[in-house]
Amino acid sequence: MLKKIAIDQFSELVKALAERGPLYAPVKGKEGVVFQAIQNPADVTLDFYNTVLSPKSVFFPQSEDMIRYRITQGATEAQPVPQDSRPAVILGVRPCDVRSFEIMDRHFLGAGVIDPYWKSKRDNTTIIGYAFDVTAAADPADFYNTFGYGAADPEGSDVFMVRTDKTLLLKGMTDRGKKLLDSMGVLQAAGGPDEKVFEETVKKGKAVQTRSAKIDPQVIAKKLVSVFDNGEFWQKAAMACIACGACTYVCPTCYCFDISDETLFKEGSRKRFWDACTFTDFTLEASGHNPRPRIFQRYRQKVCHKYSYHVDKYGCISCVGCGRCTRVCPVNIDIFSIVDEANKL
Amino acid sequence: MTAFKKIEDNLKKEAKNLLESGKVTLVLAYAGGFDEKHPVPYVAKAAADADHLVFNEYCTYNMARYLTRYPLGTKIAVAVRGADSRAVVQLIQEGKVRRDDLVILGIPATGMKNQKTGEVIDAKTTASTINPVLYDVLLGDEIHGVKAGSPYDVLAELEGMDKDARWAFWKKEFERCIRCYACRKACPMCYCDPCFMDASRPRWADKSPTDDGTLMYHLTRFYHLAGRCIDCGECSRACPVDIPLYLFHKEVAKECEAMFGQAAGMNIEDKPAMANFKGEDSDQMLG
Repeated sequence: MLKKIAIDQFSELVKALAERGPLYAPVKGKEGVVFQAIQNPADVTLDFYNTVLSPKSVFFPQSEDMIRYRITQGATEAQPVPQDSRPAVILGVRPCDVRSFEIMDRHFLGAGVIDPYWKSKRDNTTIIGYAFDVTAAADPADFYNTFGYGAADPEGSDVFMVRTDKTLLLKGMTDRGKKLLDSMGVLQAAGGPDEKVFEETVKKGKAVQTRSAKIDPQVIAKKLVSVFDNGEFWQKAAMACIACGACTYVCPTCYCFDISDETLFKEGSRKRFWDACTFTDFTLEASGHNPRPRIFQRYRQKVCHKYSYHVDKYGCISCVGCGRCTRVCPVNIDIFSIVDEANKL
Repeated sequence: MTAFKKIEDNLKKEAKNLLESGKVTLVLAYAGGFDEKHPVPYVAKAAADADHLVFNEYCTYNMARYLTRYPLGTKIAVAVRGADSRAVVQLIQEGKVRRDDLVILGIPATGMKNQKTGEVIDAKTTASTINPVLYDVLLGDEIHGVKAGSPYDVLAELEGMDKDARWAFWKKEFERCIRCYACRKACPMCYCDPCFMDASRPRWADKSPTDDGTLMYHLTRFYHLAGRCIDCGECSRACPVDIPLYLFHKEVAKECEAMFGQAAGMNIEDKPAMANFKGEDSDQMLG
């Protein structure tokens, strides 16, 4: 079912969504546009190419309290933090990022142990995807064509949103999405011509070109293993890398985390927070031994995990070609170039 | 107008000669990235590698930060602009590299551009250091007659605020910090291994991005760089969320310069301000 709303009424749509429960949407800040929990509907923007940080923080926040405790004389009182079970909406997710959620589901739900924190948010959240502008060129860092994604692919979204000059078209792609659209009195029914515009946009989206390479997951998985010991290849690839965590943090499919108790004056929380395999102390052991003391070893780990070990373990490449890592890297390391080179070996 | 192409040609020539003659084992400079606006830091090891070198207005990297990756005694040629050369001097002062092991390829330049925004970056950082302060070879002509101003001019707005407003300003800026440590890793002077942030016993600052932990990390780093920050601006350019770290570093540098009469990285004869004592040092903190 297709619905629509005039662009200049967008704030009404946001208001209506925000009234239903938690709403996560793009907000323009000093750093660019990022997803935030919306307090003020006027903050939401649809004028951006893509967000600096990926939307993964909606389901997998950078910092998440799991247990709160107080240390008293002779005992510690501890309470698990209750999960927010209110129905939530995430609005304005680009097609490549929408596909990242399904990849992350494999880690958090499909690996034998169900992550209750991921699950509860994922179960309760309706995803409103947002087509890229199909009349504009893709950002030079993007390479999502490599994974068969188009600039206006609705797959994975509960509702998919297409923007025209004056209108927003919203299509219910799943039962959950249709139910949401049904409940939004602020939307109008869309007609035949609108249907056509929607279909045309999806089609045009397939013609928007990003950098691309013919990468077969099984093939690249093996090729990367075959060059594992090629020190020259990896030292060249990681030559400029400064081993910060920027690429990991902005990536929609990176999911490593650390757990720590943070206490102040006898009160605190056990929390999990993002970690990065590029950090010096990522594999630092209690004995003081570190299996990956050198930067090229850690960068090799990152690439091999995403494009090789992940294929073996979870059946797909852990990357959606969104280009954020390349854009944010302080030294312009480009994972696409490195994988492309390995693929051609 | 900086002659970027001429500098690039000279860079390639010098690098090739140095590697062919065996005078150095590696040349730290810049190469092309996935497009022209995104060059990369590059390590040339063989004479043929010199063909990959580039120099354009986006080559803003401080290559001095890679110097501390190599064992003491490694013969290295390093391409540096004004502020970057100060990092080399500071590293020599601190004993992390030896003057004799380096061939410093100096690049006088104005008109360098921020890769993300395209804006010219001279005014905010490197204002006073257009020409390298130390070099073996100059890859381009020294630039004179440019009204550079003081590197501390940009602090006027912050200094005009009262204490509470300034605290509020920095608290707000650090709300965006995602603790990626790009600032620390981009800095040529942050070479400590382990860094205080890598310690868990004691844990000096929480690892999660709470206000307290984040402020603790940044304030500590600012103080660890007192008298050492050479104002290259790399930290601020590396930051994915655009925190103007250079403003705090400059303020600390300004106070250090006022108290101890020297700026970081200007003279290899200097001793690092925080590791030295002179009879005439300011004792204003003693009241």
